[in-house]
Amino acid sequence: MVNTVNLVKIYQSGGVPVPAVRGVDLRVEAGEFVAIMGPSGSGKSTLVHMLGGLDARTSGEIWLDGRRADTLGESAWALLRRQKIGFVFQFFNLIANMTVADNVELPALLAGASPREARERREHLLGALGLTGRADAAPAQLAGGEQQRVALARALANKPSLLLADEPTGNLDSRNTRDVLKLLTDVHRDGQTIILVTHDARVASLADRVVSLLDGQIVDDGAVGTFRRRPKGTAGDVVELRG
Amino acid sequence: MTVSTFRASARWIRADLRARRGQAALTILAVAGIVTALITSATLLEDGTNPWRGLFAQTRGAHVWIHTKDAPDVAALSRLPGVEQVAGPYRTAPVTLAMGGKKSPVALREATAQPPRVAAPLVDGGRWLRPADAAGVVVERSFAEALDLRVGGPFTVTALNGASHALVVVGLAETADQGFYPEWTPGLAWVLPQTLAGIEPALGRSESVTGLRLADGEDTLPVVHGAVTLLDEQIQRMSTWREVRASMELDNRLLGLLLALFGTAGLVAAALATANAVGGRVLTQTRDIATLKSLGYTRGQVFAVLVAEHGALGLLGIGLGTVCGLLVTTLALDGLSVLPLSPVPLLAIVAGTAAVVLVAVALPAWRGGRTPPIPAAPAAPPRGRLSRVARLALLVRLPPALVLGTRDAFTRRTPAFLSIVGLAVPMMMITIGLGCWATLDDFLRHPEQVGQAAALTVHPDGLPAEDAARLARADPDVLAVYPGSEVSALEPEQTRSVLARALGTSAEPYPFSVVEGRMFAARGEAVAGQGLLDLLGAEIGDRVRMTVGGTPLIVHIVGRVVEPDHDGQVLSLGMDSLAAKDTVPPQFYGLVLKKGADPEAVGARLLAASGEALEVRRAVNPAERLAVIRVVIVALTVVLALLGLTNLLTARSLGLRDHAFDLAVLKAMGLTPGQVAATLVTGTGLLVVLGVVAGTAAGASVVGGLIDLQGHTSGVGAGIGRTPSALTLVVTACTAIGAALLVTSVPARRAARAQVPVTAR
Repeated sequence: MVNTVNLVKIYQSGGVPVPAVRGVDLRVEAGEFVAIMGPSGSGKSTLVHMLGGLDARTSGEIWLDGRRADTLGESAWALLRRQKIGFVFQFFNLIANMTVADNVELPALLAGASPREARERREHLLGALGLTGRADAAPAQLAGGEQQRVALARALANKPSLLLADEPTGNLDSRNTRDVLKLLTDVHRDGQTIILVTHDARVASLADRVVSLLDGQIVDDGAVGTFRRRPKGTAGDVVELRG
Repeated sequence: MTVSTFRASARWIRADLRARRGQAALTILAVAGIVTALITSATLLEDGTNPWRGLFAQTRGAHVWIHTKDAPDVAALSRLPGVEQVAGPYRTAPVTLAMGGKKSPVALREATAQPPRVAAPLVDGGRWLRPADAAGVVVERSFAEALDLRVGGPFTVTALNGASHALVVVGLAETADQGFYPEWTPGLAWVLPQTLAGIEPALGRSESVTGLRLADGEDTLPVVHGAVTLLDEQIQRMSTWREVRASMELDNRLLGLLLALFGTAGLVAAALATANAVGGRVLTQTRDIATLKSLGYTRGQVFAVLVAEHGALGLLGIGLGTVCGLLVTTLALDGLSVLPLSPVPLLAIVAGTAAVVLVAVALPAWRGGRTPPIPAAPAAPPRGRLSRVARLALLVRLPPALVLGTRDAFTRRTPAFLSIVGLAVPMMMITIGLGCWATLDDFLRHPEQVGQAAALTVHPDGLPAEDAARLARADPDVLAVYPGSEVSALEPEQTRSVLARALGTSAEPYPFSVVEGRMFAARGEAVAGQGLLDLLGAEIGDRVRMTVGGTPLIVHIVGRVVEPDHDGQVLSLGMDSLAAKDTVPPQFYGLVLKKGADPEAVGARLLAASGEALEVRRAVNPAERLAVIRVVIVALTVVLALLGLTNLLTARSLGLRDHAFDLAVLKAMGLTPGQVAATLVTGTGLLVVLGVVAGTAAGASVVGGLIDLQGHTSGVGAGIGRTPSALTLVVTACTAIGAALLVTSVPARRAARAQVPVTAR
């Protein structure tokens, strides 16, 4: 599904090269839920941004669905994101001027859905995320947890094969964190490939596999238990796990 | 752009426009105002509002009108090369129309019930004369309007023999034979030949008017020369279509130029405002744009969305402005038969404005397209040390809010600079508008400075000239009486006649407004208007050979005067410089009144004292004819203020966005909400103050020169331009700054009180 070969990213900061990612080889299979952990500045966000084409790599290769993606131009990456990738950011990044409904429908429309399909998809997603009543609200009227759920709905609106989440719970309180994580496990259970960046070990423990980054290099890559599909659980399971 | 992106983009644009309706409306209105000004200007400059063109075509007018004592040799005239058809000769008698105690001179012209093939008056109300209309009269429309004459109303005229005749207005008609009343006197009215014969039986007291329609209007001069050679002594005066056209167009050209100046500068201001607005919008939306990109928008698509959104506002404004412009030119300038603007300049204006707007939108939109797609990365303003100004402010112990605000104002140099320029340009144009206003006021307050020291001119008419002068001198409000005569002067090449005006004597000259050189002080010396100097290619100090009133004369031009009449093509000299046949007796007297005297009252007194035998005319101040300019100035000021407001809103939202995050820090540092608000207001207000002051200074420094330049090209001559008074400038600048601070302070106070956001931008 996702494969990187010796991926390197070096920023130029005032003429001084600052390596952020130093030769990462990562392979993520379809349907896998991978958590990338590491302290601040370990390069985990940069890695995810490169996987989604938001940031250009300095060297190395990125393969998505068997196609080489690192050589793509900015526009080709954009088209690829439309079709295959969904993003969830730490600060939600909902478009403030647009209603919740429009925020969620936007990627679906971009991916080529008809307005009717987009609406149905949005209704389905908001329903599943418990936000049906908030469709016409402005993002600013929502609580943080609600905003992140909308962001998640938006990331899933184009039925992406890869969901990239950059600290999705980094800005949420524990209760909202729990809700969002439950949703992530739910969509993962339905076969969604997820790469999640976090510095919170408890969040990472939900994943099938935890990759630890330090100073831009993978220092640990281990499965949480065996690679398996979780049995159908409830919110209580999450609480239990976290506890 | 595919259908899918189109749909998604439409949602984005709709949402964005909904979020800033006010600003969007401002953009549309400002652009619309400018396009309106440009279209109106082009229509005026194109002569579309000059009724002469339409009238001449509709009436199949004659190019040359010859006034002779007796009927000329029509056959010989029609044989002149270039002459196509001859109108008349028509017998015309001078009569006086008494209406409500006011006497107006009328030229009563004979006309047949069957309209002529050339120069047929165009009936505009009522009907044309019928064979049975023995007491019927058709009145020229502008004359009828000036005197409030209606169809069916009385038209009682007094002939030179004193007999009174009651006529009835049966119709109103337009004509291209002469200009509009009262600029062109006497008024014109048509009666049947037998009616005219009844009113003025003496042939010797009437004249004959003959019109020549030429194959080509450009051949006027040779035809005029031919007619002069042919008729020689018989000719009393002649007029050509150029004079009629010029008298009808009058001030349209100046108005057109003013509108063009304001429109063009306004366009520059609008481009700046648009670029600022889009640029500011791109900056404030950096995160949203990044989000769009993370959702799969390409660089080109972001560019296209921005151009579509902001460009559409501009294009909407252009569309609205085009409609308004066409409406304004047909409705507001009513009473004139307007020919619509021809398609080429209209297209040029629309396409040109569209291009300017699109370029102004495209540049910042292109930058918006280059926004990196990582929405988490905040586009922070470049931070740095306190600027020199800010450190200076700290040094002199200014309040911290001012210091911080000063620093904030320049954190983004380019937008700050654009904001200042964006405010300075409209402010400069407003100052120029005020300068035009002040100049008009000055015309009214000091008519002597525009060569109108004499508020009244008195034509002896029925009285001996000495009696008229004696009557005038006897009036308590009359300060001085100057004898005057007007004759035509032929310039050296003898191709064009200009007006030679003798007023006062070399020893006691009329108070002309001499702006260069000196007043004439001896026989043979004269002063000239700029138009004449340009026509002759002469300079002050030159000696020019001219034929003045038929007498060859070497004129020493010793000065230049401000000359509002006849495009400045007037030679002014002392009575003693003219031949006695032209000056004894004087044709008229120029009356300089005492300060504060009412010309109307003096005129009425003189009329009464002379038993209504005098003809008293009031000088028409150019400012009265230019009154419409004030309307234009007000309208343009509104448009420019809108542009300034657009810029201000941009600067404000940018300032708020850049510094909203600092609010928490400022509060933590111990600033009160009031101080925080003051910081925000200072940040925007400083730019406003700089822009307003720079614009006002620039406007004040160029306005006099601009008006003088216009005066020079229009023949009036330099020396009329006035800068608005210091008080006006200060009040205007303070109003602008005050309004700006008000606009800024409301959201600043709200922001200062609001909960500080904890999210990244």
